[in-house]
Amino acid sequence: MTAQPRLPPWRGETYHGLPSLKASSFDWKVSAYIALLGLAGSAQVLAAVARLTGRHGEEDGLVRRARLLAATGSTIGPLLLIRHLKTPSRWYNMLRIVRPTSPMSLGSWLLTAFGGLSALTTLGALFGRRSRLARRVAEVAQGPAAITGAGMSVYTASLLSSTSTPLWAAAPAPLAAQFGAASMAGAASALALAQRRAGEDRSARRLETLAAAAAMGEFAAARVVERRWKQAGIAHAATHGRGRALLQGGGKGAGMLLPLAAHALSVLGAEGRSSRVLPELASLAMIAGGAAMRHGMLQAGNESARRPQDSLRFNQPRNARR
Amino acid sequence: MMEGGLAHPRALRHTDLDPQQPIPQEAELTTGRRIEPGRAYGFFTDTTLCIGCKACEVACKEWNQLPADDLRLSGTSYDNTRALSAHTWRHVTFAERIVEDGQRVTSMPPYQSNWLMMSDVCKHCDPAPCLEACPTGAIFRTEFETVVVQQDICNGCGYCVPACPFGVVELSTDDGKAHKCTLCYDRLKGGLEPACAKSCPTDSIQFGPVEELLDLAERRVEHLHAQGQPRAYLYGTPGAPGATGGIGRLNAFFLLTERPEVYNLPSEPSRPSRRAKPSFLAGLATMAGLAVAAALIGVGRR
Repeated sequence: MTAQPRLPPWRGETYHGLPSLKASSFDWKVSAYIALLGLAGSAQVLAAVARLTGRHGEEDGLVRRARLLAATGSTIGPLLLIRHLKTPSRWYNMLRIVRPTSPMSLGSWLLTAFGGLSALTTLGALFGRRSRLARRVAEVAQGPAAITGAGMSVYTASLLSSTSTPLWAAAPAPLAAQFGAASMAGAASALALAQRRAGEDRSARRLETLAAAAAMGEFAAARVVERRWKQAGIAHAATHGRGRALLQGGGKGAGMLLPLAAHALSVLGAEGRSSRVLPELASLAMIAGGAAMRHGMLQAGNESARRPQDSLRFNQPRNARR
Repeated sequence: MMEGGLAHPRALRHTDLDPQQPIPQEAELTTGRRIEPGRAYGFFTDTTLCIGCKACEVACKEWNQLPADDLRLSGTSYDNTRALSAHTWRHVTFAERIVEDGQRVTSMPPYQSNWLMMSDVCKHCDPAPCLEACPTGAIFRTEFETVVVQQDICNGCGYCVPACPFGVVELSTDDGKAHKCTLCYDRLKGGLEPACAKSCPTDSIQFGPVEELLDLAERRVEHLHAQGQPRAYLYGTPGAPGATGGIGRLNAFFLLTERPEVYNLPSEPSRPSRRAKPSFLAGLATMAGLAVAAALIGVGRR
């Protein structure tokens, strides 16, 4: 091989400012899917933990509500994804092959398995009181449903990282941790709301504690992700414009800091009528913030792909990046 | 019937054939190389020979019957095509060297002007990130080691689009499928070299078996160095810029004389599928930790 000539260092020049990458077509339907299936997946994890460790019967209370949440998510989610395809009539081609290198392919199979298992646990939630068979089936399906549910909560981050879009590719592991923690915070918040509505305030309190812990984990993971972006010099799309509004204002502010403050206030405050409004608002904010974070991540990622100064910088040799 | 003089000696062997019939292995006449399944074929695009005529763009559009894209003028250079797209599979970039080291450029590199022109195309990477991302199997590797999107299978999920490190493949808003250069799969099957390479008047685009092209390209670089163009280098050959981060080689590779970014190419692209496993495992570990936290908090208790 001939020797590589010494080229002058890259000084940030682009080709007439034109993009060097193509942005994905992922829009609100995909971000809604990511948020919804995160909730559904983590709900199955919680259902399994509750069955293993608690005295909740599977036919009532938390377990039943978690299974119904999972069933709702795994019904609406695939419809959103199919709607997002540019040739929706061929959705079934997703199940034509298994491609181990493609998180989209493995994710399709994971979603199929999760949807099927969630349908089985739904049998327990709906007919568990009357039918022993339904209880048995749901019991057997609960473990696998939780494992696939854990996968559903995080595989979407792995899918985004496995692209050339700078913002998604820059922090594969922390991004998955952030998505997973956001999913658990959302699921715990949604179930806390349901428990509050059902009058099971003590169970709701524990779920709110879990949601707060998950939100703190999400905050930490988000900080690591942001630091990776800054180190790579590609943070612009996440710190300006809509990306900033959704990630900082929506994801961090409304989704983590505000609800954490509200939960802290309600714990410190006296037990009373007002102590129920605050946690419920906090739970709602956490669910909305998780959705905003996912949408912001797609928005900012697409924007970073359209910015040649970011994509060309991201593909500099590691030591030459700024 | 062709008379001596004008005809290529190899063409004269075919004078007794029926003129209505295609010439078998016509590529042998036009490139001196046979097209046989099981070998890797690609392009060697030598930018020092490109004159920016865009014959490749036109030939590609005509053969593949691709519709026109945006017809406005870019206002930045002679490049009004601007980018590869679902309907543009060859794109000639025009970069003018005006300033270097803060000084106005007053001289020209040997055998070239200060216009750097390059006919960009799908790189037919090996391994190919778009193929690795495709969940339907629509994108596949052909018997010529090229990467092609099967239009009857693609469902327009669009995952190949952000997967591509070069911004090549795109979804068409006309039919909702992903499209990109096929390296003229249909022509290769019929023994014809791809339309762009055949139309290139300066042989800036050369078609052939990749192994042969690699040899040719190495010799071309040495020749240019000897001629006084010390900046000539290859982009996309094994170990060179462009074939980095798990991408072994680009079956369509380039000879450049400036930094890759000048031609809108990434210096060190990487193979996206490498990031899937570390990401997924970190996510699962997070979920396991949160499940333990849930058990410790006692979410199961009433």
